[in-house]
Amino acid sequence: MSILIDRDTRVLVQGATGNQARFDMRYCLEYGTNVVAGVSPGRGGESVDGVPVFNTVAAAVRATGANASAIYVPARGVEAAIAEALDAGLRMLVALAENVPRHDAARSVAAVRAAGAHLVGFNTNGLISPGRSKMGGIGGDRTAALYAPGRIGVCSRSGGMSAEICAALGAAGLGASTCVSMGGDPLVGMRVVEVLRLFEADPDTDASVIYGEPGGSHEAEVVAAIREGSLRKPIVAIVVGAFQERYPKGASFGHVAAMIQGADDGATAKRRMLADAGVRVAATIDAIPGLLREALGR
Amino acid sequence: MRLLEDAAKAALRDAGVDVPRGGAAGTPEEALSVARSVAGDGGRVVAKALVPAGRRGKAGAVKVCAADACGEVAASLLGMCVADTTVERVYVEEAVDIAEELYASFAFGPLSPRLVVSRSGGVDIEAVAHERPEAIVSTDIDPRSGLRTWEAVAAWEAAGVPSAALPKLAELTVKLYRAFVANDALMLEINPIGVGRDGVPRVVGTMMEIDDNALGRHPAWQRQAEASAGPGGRPLTDGERAVAEANRTLPGGATRYIELDGDIGLLVSGGGASLYQHDLILDHGGRPANHTDFSPTPTPDKQVAILEAILSRPQVRGLLIGCNHLQLARCDLIVEALAIVLRRRGLDPRGFPIVIRLFGPGEAKARELAAQFPGIRYLAPGTSLASACREIVDAVAALPPAGTEARP
Repeated sequence: MSILIDRDTRVLVQGATGNQARFDMRYCLEYGTNVVAGVSPGRGGESVDGVPVFNTVAAAVRATGANASAIYVPARGVEAAIAEALDAGLRMLVALAENVPRHDAARSVAAVRAAGAHLVGFNTNGLISPGRSKMGGIGGDRTAALYAPGRIGVCSRSGGMSAEICAALGAAGLGASTCVSMGGDPLVGMRVVEVLRLFEADPDTDASVIYGEPGGSHEAEVVAAIREGSLRKPIVAIVVGAFQERYPKGASFGHVAAMIQGADDGATAKRRMLADAGVRVAATIDAIPGLLREALGR
Repeated sequence: MRLLEDAAKAALRDAGVDVPRGGAAGTPEEALSVARSVAGDGGRVVAKALVPAGRRGKAGAVKVCAADACGEVAASLLGMCVADTTVERVYVEEAVDIAEELYASFAFGPLSPRLVVSRSGGVDIEAVAHERPEAIVSTDIDPRSGLRTWEAVAAWEAAGVPSAALPKLAELTVKLYRAFVANDALMLEINPIGVGRDGVPRVVGTMMEIDDNALGRHPAWQRQAEASAGPGGRPLTDGERAVAEANRTLPGGATRYIELDGDIGLLVSGGGASLYQHDLILDHGGRPANHTDFSPTPTPDKQVAILEAILSRPQVRGLLIGCNHLQLARCDLIVEALAIVLRRRGLDPRGFPIVIRLFGPGEAKARELAAQFPGIRYLAPGTSLASACREIVDAVAALPPAGTEARP
């Protein structure tokens, strides 16, 4: 088991004929992901790496039984692409584009949630259930080396950091059940607490690792869920970006989400809040495996 | 980008919101002429410094006067320094009769747009939220349907506004929401909304921030944004301007580059890993000379431009190239760019520590290139980002005191 994607996930790629999509798709196929269809209006009837391309998502779903979509459409078209995927009945979506206009993002996320669907992104390299399936560019051509299978759930705001965390888990003899690069844009499809609830319900996940940055209320929501008793599995957290507190307010140093608005959502405040709720807070990625072992008593 | 009051009010007017008559002026003469045209000879006007800051009233940068006196009042505001900005223009508008001051804003919550209203307008709303949280009413808006009139009525009613005032206030609030959407705003704050003795609510103070990611849909503002400033409102440095230029003219993702006061140059990539490494450098006692968040690009050109910006600063005494495991980009292109800049600047890594933590496609070739420069420390496969940060901090700390070593 895993969350969100598994061996039976049948992936469709929207914007399949673009460069990035082709590049990632090849590595997904090599990894064993069931990529069953591509969609590019005007390119129906072609194929990419043996995968048939359709003009619409609905036609692709009818012909191939696709049940998830990796959306490579650029930011300005992403709202329409998500609407089309939902309309065709897809309920597991990954939107890779970054810098999606906020109003477009909000309308898209509202539509996704009203449909009872899941959206990973925006500004993500995807997600992976190691050894089973991956969607997006996550892992590139070194997927097996970076993402070992295991029983730790990983949820990261940064795609690069999900690779670092999973590589550290693998080197320590641990591994991931699923790793979700949830997206670095300020408004994304899933809250960290929602990903953790999925890990909580997954019998093959024993503990989770979350990676966070300054800005936003993800960590506060996690803390609220822990306090109400709905998250019981151990959590190890790493929150970076404390250096920003030494520089002028309003300066943005990293992901666009990582902009400190007030002291309450700076890295230091988040670390303290998580630690007070019993989360083990790691100062470095190197320290994560040890904290997991301590939490799991092994 | 933050719009100044003249642009924000023009945007509201275009969206059908009733805004007091007014206009911007750069000289006392212009201010007087605007004042007379909006308020007539005997009327009263408000003159405000056009600077990107709130709480201008407290700073003495908002003045009410007779239209005929507006020239002298504008002269006193122009050239004044408000929130580190010299006032170059003033905004002059008709004074509206205000019996009560209310507050309304639109911004984004975690998942959706959010309306915040309060009867306590005209003051610092953060202080109100802190001291009397019950005075603030917050309503999430479904962005697919937009703000409905009855939702606005309910919000203001919950804030304690009497029934008779609700219809006009709700109508204004719905129009403001439409302007918030039409302008791709991240934030629209009206503080205060002035309610006159006639019961009519009017827009008085306006702040609007536009989504930079939507500027493609607003070409007029895009030009303004390109002229905008560095972090904390300071002007861009030469190096920052050079990187911005490279972002504009060379292919590949945009690089964030911010110059700081330290001595360790950072060419670090990935939103996450760049934050992480900056933290660790400080934790180990080092001082970054800059922050970067660069996306490796398909040709070395842009990396050359960024490295030039970093290494041209005399205060820089060492360099960390630290990336998370590359999953798409090529390591050798980054080291190729480094080789170009080292040769061009005649830098010798034996006296100028360079630590490279770069794993991924093209790594073998990258290591060969780096080996041509004795002194470069290309870390062994699997070395953590934390170890890389410690290594550069220690190496720079071991240099002779600044100013004593020879550096071309």
